[in-house]
Amino acid sequence: MAIAAARGRSRRRPVGIPFAWALLSLALACLSGCASLVGGMAADTLQAAILDQNDPELVASGVPAYLLLVDGMISRSGDNEDLLAAGAQLFALYGSRFEPDPARVVRLTEKARGYGERALCLAHKPACSWRGLSYDDFVSQLQTVDRKRIDYLYAYAVSWLSYLDATSEDWSAVAELPWVEAALERALALDETYAEGGLHAYLGILNSLRPPALGGRPEVARQHFERAIELSAGRDLSAKVEYARRYARMMFEQDLHDRLLMEVLAAPVEAEGLTLFNVLAKQEAEQLLATSGEYF
Amino acid sequence: MSRAKGGCPGAFWVLAVLTACAMALPAGAAELKVATIAPDGSQWMRSMRAGGEQIKERTAGRVVLKFYPGGVMGNDSQVLRRIRIGQLHGGAFTAGGLAERYPALNLYGVPLLFNSLEEVDFVRARLDPKLAAGLEAAGFVSFGFSEGGFANLMANEPIRNVDDLRRKKIWVPEGDAISFLAMESLGLSPVVLPATDVLTALQTGLLDVVANSPVGALVLQWHTKVRYRTELPVSYAMGIFALDARAFDSLTAEDREILREVMGGVMRDIDRASREDNRRAAEVMTNTGVAPIAVTNTDIEGLRSTIETIYPTLRGRADVDVAMFDELLAVIAEFRAQQAESSPADPGR
Repeated sequence: MAIAAARGRSRRRPVGIPFAWALLSLALACLSGCASLVGGMAADTLQAAILDQNDPELVASGVPAYLLLVDGMISRSGDNEDLLAAGAQLFALYGSRFEPDPARVVRLTEKARGYGERALCLAHKPACSWRGLSYDDFVSQLQTVDRKRIDYLYAYAVSWLSYLDATSEDWSAVAELPWVEAALERALALDETYAEGGLHAYLGILNSLRPPALGGRPEVARQHFERAIELSAGRDLSAKVEYARRYARMMFEQDLHDRLLMEVLAAPVEAEGLTLFNVLAKQEAEQLLATSGEYF
Repeated sequence: MSRAKGGCPGAFWVLAVLTACAMALPAGAAELKVATIAPDGSQWMRSMRAGGEQIKERTAGRVVLKFYPGGVMGNDSQVLRRIRIGQLHGGAFTAGGLAERYPALNLYGVPLLFNSLEEVDFVRARLDPKLAAGLEAAGFVSFGFSEGGFANLMANEPIRNVDDLRRKKIWVPEGDAISFLAMESLGLSPVVLPATDVLTALQTGLLDVVANSPVGALVLQWHTKVRYRTELPVSYAMGIFALDARAFDSLTAEDREILREVMGGVMRDIDRASREDNRRAAEVMTNTGVAPIAVTNTDIEGLRSTIETIYPTLRGRADVDVAMFDELLAVIAEFRAQQAESSPADPGR
């Protein structure tokens, strides 16, 4: 199913200090044992620096060091929900987009999922006992999460999704998808504009995983993709790529497919919080366009 | 069948066009258009595409399979219509869907026919080749059948016997006349709906009891709306990859052989994998909170003896191949007799 995980980031502004300083303060903070005070903030800065990067190779080679750092900080300050949420998204991002070895992808995203669960549990106590809930109970529990906790709900859902994507060969991943979808639906109900419309993009993907004959809802998927593009004012190129790859291919709409991808190739990559994904989206758009004639 | 796709323009065309042409099909290549409801990226589609690649390579590009996944060409009967008018050359069908052309394919799906997968294996080893030959005579070349698995009963209350089914709203798939008859014979009131409406019907209370394989239930997300799965082999489902014999026969003998060999291998792999898929899917259903309910031989016997009362009605139907049905019953009886002989303490049923 290859779902692009951790594609958005929280809308909190990253702290306004240069990245090297952030790293230094992070290291100092770790050394001085007060990581819990700055951990979340520093991890957020890391995340911003990564997501605004236009060189995927640099991210691929550089991020593992940050992951180790974040891991170390979490082991010292395991009760910092901001740090855990950032860790969940970083591990999900690296695992699902950059790590080539499938076995390691499973390990990385499993860790992401664990951090996401812990973050939400710290921020919203009832969530500590959500694992194993029946679908209906889970959906009713989600109603207890309010807007103030959306960062953690988002980190929880996308890190879980990254794990399901990594383990998509197993039937448990197929089985758990409705739970993740419900969590994303709840976040969407709290704030549909969150993560530049990224929630809509994820729901677009989930609703186009199955064809209509197997219970998929392409029309719902289409509406989500359209809204994701609208909310990001067209700056989120990966929403267009997923729209083409998932919806247009499934519905055999070649005109839509090719139009979306041409738009991606013509658009600028630089967009705050989206640059890295936009660079990757352009690469994917080229590949999808190259196989368009063969597919349709 | 579309030959020489694209029809390369004359040599005076620009270089770019010539380059594009070099990547198109060689002149005289046969493009076989095949539809399936399996989503692109699913294991089924990956296996089919890998088979397609192998065929293209081994026939030096003379035969190319083009897939239309995700049900984009419609359901089984719509795909059959498109094949009839030459828009498509084949498809992956449910046995029930292709039974429109060759009714004997319905027989494995007669409710409560089989006791176990061991029985299925015994019967299929004997009868699959006969069904494939019958299907070929009806104008479709298949490359082996793939298991869909046993449908189990699923509900919000435990179902152990026919009494537990009384006064319940029981689903019967649209177009499944045999299951409808079986439900009526049990004195139950079936509700006919397409599979895609079942999830909503479970939510709104329009249905109480449904049946599907564990894999089918997970894909359609029914596990979010039921709490129990009765481990009763209600009916056996099968998938069939088949090509229009007219398209197949137009290939050279050598290419037909390659197609049979490669796609035969693909279908055998899918058939084997399907059993493990259902075993794992059943385990996963349990893990997500759908409790398995075991049934006793006595309960099964009670249900079966009632359902067997519809056999005379089945025999009278135009869409039932009586000779094949009798042969099927005889092979099952033979297996059960062998079982009884090897373990006299267990009557095998």
